[in-house]
Amino acid sequence: MILIDKLCYQSKLRYVNATEKFVYAVLSLVFCVVSGSATVAVPVFLVNGILTVGKGKIPLSRYIKLLLIPMTFLILGTAAILLNVSAVPLDAFAFPIGKWYLTGSVKSVIRVCRLCITALAAVSCLYFLSLNTTMTDILGVLRKLHLPDLLIELMLLIYRFIFLLLETAAAITTAQESRLGNRDYSTRIRSFGAMASALFVQAVKRSNMLYDAMESRCYDGTIRVLTQEQPARKNEVIWIAVYEILLLLITIWSIIK
Amino acid sequence: MKQEKEWVIEAEHISYTYEGNDKPALSDMTLKIRRGSRVAFMGGNGSGKSTFFLCLNGIRKPDAGRVLIDGEPVSYTRKGLLDVRRRVGIVFQEPDDQLFSAGVYQEISFGILNLGVEEEKARKEVERVIQELGIRPFQERPAHALSGGQKKLVAIADILVMDPEVMILDEPASSLDPKHTKIVRGIVEGLTERGITVLMATHDMDYAFGWADEIVLMHEGSVLKSGAPLEVCSDREALEKANLEVPAVLRLYEKMREKGMVSLEGGVPKTMEELERRLV
Repeated sequence: MILIDKLCYQSKLRYVNATEKFVYAVLSLVFCVVSGSATVAVPVFLVNGILTVGKGKIPLSRYIKLLLIPMTFLILGTAAILLNVSAVPLDAFAFPIGKWYLTGSVKSVIRVCRLCITALAAVSCLYFLSLNTTMTDILGVLRKLHLPDLLIELMLLIYRFIFLLLETAAAITTAQESRLGNRDYSTRIRSFGAMASALFVQAVKRSNMLYDAMESRCYDGTIRVLTQEQPARKNEVIWIAVYEILLLLITIWSIIK
Repeated sequence: MKQEKEWVIEAEHISYTYEGNDKPALSDMTLKIRRGSRVAFMGGNGSGKSTFFLCLNGIRKPDAGRVLIDGEPVSYTRKGLLDVRRRVGIVFQEPDDQLFSAGVYQEISFGILNLGVEEEKARKEVERVIQELGIRPFQERPAHALSGGQKKLVAIADILVMDPEVMILDEPASSLDPKHTKIVRGIVEGLTERGITVLMATHDMDYAFGWADEIVLMHEGSVLKSGAPLEVCSDREALEKANLEVPAVLRLYEKMREKGMVSLEGGVPKTMEELERRLV
């Protein structure tokens, strides 16, 4: 999560209009999930990869590592569909275990493949958004979409506080380590508990201070801020429109079929 | 246009005790601050400086006594508080306690939008302050990737954009490197030039002696001694009580005067540079 945050500030696509990127990512995601077909998922997955790595200049190795995270879940999740224990071997593969077979059908293999590629493509849409758009810009888009203020304000504060608290937690942990706070398992557990409670106290204190500071700038219960927006470029908008219409057509076609 | 009063802030016998504490943070404190002046607040931790500052823009309401801004008592209604906070801005000691947004631009725009300024004008003001304080080079970075000094500049911009009459800086130089200390001090000079009254808490006696028009020594929630820097620093007893040292330039000047090593013209020098120039 911190890695994604760091990468998105370096992305070459960072200064592309945020609404464009948001619309692109969300529409592609919707088509992927609605169609559930590889004909949509494969191009979406590839285009996202090309844009993020090729245009955004996110290092390929990082991108692959990030994609491997959902892979673990996918493998665990799809194992249940793929594997059957049966007395009769199915058509795709069969490993005998005593009198039984660990087996699967061709149909289920195809289903699993389709599921995996759809899921990866969907995840790549979200990665595209989060690796190329800063949180601040995303909040700006959500504000434009008239999401409830409360939700956006919470996201704004939480996003800022994640880093503050992580910093504090790291500082406390370092201080504990320098006093042998992680000498063995039991001290490690105790140190973690102490750190967590110290962090909680800090969080409460900090939020009180922050409230005072915000009040002293005439805070009245609503956080109003200005966002900077990069202008949308005509050719980018056209490209996105063409691409999404294509995806829409493929989606419709795959559903009818 | 209201006629400008000589005293921009008057505190009359204010006391304040934090909930759950026996000892008052402020007890019977009385102080007047002249418009356009530079006032240094000095005193140990827990001497009541920060609490006093919070009383000045209505974040804390004194249990007793009253605060007057521009000769008018602070009204603790919504409208009254808005007005006071527009006039008196506080830059908090820890930028991390003040910056609530990860975006620098968003952060700075918060205060001015709360004043009900139109978006178009607010945008201009935010841009102006960003330019003025040299924030441009790191404007696009998230708050958590800024250095301490950069965060401090943003914290100052937060308040400056609201165009206050009085600006309070709570230990602005604490945890800053020399480079940023110098930048912040330069900004403070600029504030005075444009007529903003500056109140600054500091532990740096040498700096306060050279910078301030008035030094306020605080001790246990009230004013121990206040006046022109030379007057305050001549009261060795008060300095000792507040655990403060005589400014180096003053100490050196006195010794050199005894030995006739310095020209007496122009009275007591305020800074080391001035003393250097007057060596004979």
